[in-house]
Amino acid sequence: MTKSTQLTLVLVLLGLFYLFYEGLWGNPRHIPTVLIGTDAPMVEGPDVETGEMISLEQFKGKVVLLNFWASWCYECKVEHESVLELHRLFKNDPNFVMIGVNYQDKLPDAQQYLKEYGTTFAHMRDVKGQLAIDYGVYGVPETFVIDQQGKIRYKYVGPVTGHMYTKITQEIIAPLLKGQPVSTPS
Amino acid sequence: MMIRLIVAALFILSTPWSGLAEVQDETLLDIQVREIAKTLRCTVCQTENIWESGAPLAQQMRGVVRDRLKLGHSPEDIKEYFLSRYGDYIMMQPPAHGVNWFLWAGPFILLLGGGLFLYKEVIGWVRRTPASPTAPPPPLDEKARQRLEHELES
Repeated sequence: MTKSTQLTLVLVLLGLFYLFYEGLWGNPRHIPTVLIGTDAPMVEGPDVETGEMISLEQFKGKVVLLNFWASWCYECKVEHESVLELHRLFKNDPNFVMIGVNYQDKLPDAQQYLKEYGTTFAHMRDVKGQLAIDYGVYGVPETFVIDQQGKIRYKYVGPVTGHMYTKITQEIIAPLLKGQPVSTPS
Repeated sequence: MMIRLIVAALFILSTPWSGLAEVQDETLLDIQVREIAKTLRCTVCQTENIWESGAPLAQQMRGVVRDRLKLGHSPEDIKEYFLSRYGDYIMMQPPAHGVNWFLWAGPFILLLGGGLFLYKEVIGWVRRTPASPTAPPPPLDEKARQRLEHELES
């Protein structure tokens, strides 16, 4: 066997080992998003607390943070305080809006959850699951940031806590509110 | 007479009622939903399609497929919609473009490459192995010949 054949064989085997490694130890929950830079679907749904219709259409021209959550979701409880803190941080900016989207939940459970943990922003219900599918959601919590032009600029799957909270507030929302570009796909 | 009537009644009751079977049959819409749903991956169960999965998200996705078919969307439009939301991951068979070509062609390339490598190596071994002796065996000596003849006669 020549040296070049041996080298090719080793490289092919290393490549196969890498693929096995990715397949076995990669995060199976992570699905690369194709939505960054695309138009945000203009979804609408009834308010969890009041029942009045909320439409994303009415927030065109603002930076919108969409947070998908459910009362049965443990990680949503983990991120709840951070999410409220995030809203406190930007709520005085007239160009910022935050909307919760209640996903695969029963209305009384969702209402009880908001009563128990508190909220400072509106939440719409995803009655048939269509909103979640429009946003390519496959689990909760998932968070989207939409810019003033109505484009999805960021998506994160998992609780917005710790360094993710810092990243979303400082590297995504703050620059967008100043009209600066962001280049941080999920 | 009574026995005949009982036998006839039992026969009628034991025969599957074709009318009921028709009611339970799938409609064309059901068949279309099934065929499309079988091509879409359940994003929360990974190895199942949304037709086989019992996950709530898969159920909702089937609902979306049905609603869109009712609205007159074609199966291609519906698959395109899911692709635009979830990317190639949603398809049970990854679309053959870009890096996905490796998934389709990879096994054949590996098989061909492995076969060529094996062929080359086997040919090399054969060439390196010394040829078997073709010269006739040396004649038997007198003592051995006599022993053989004796054994054959006995």
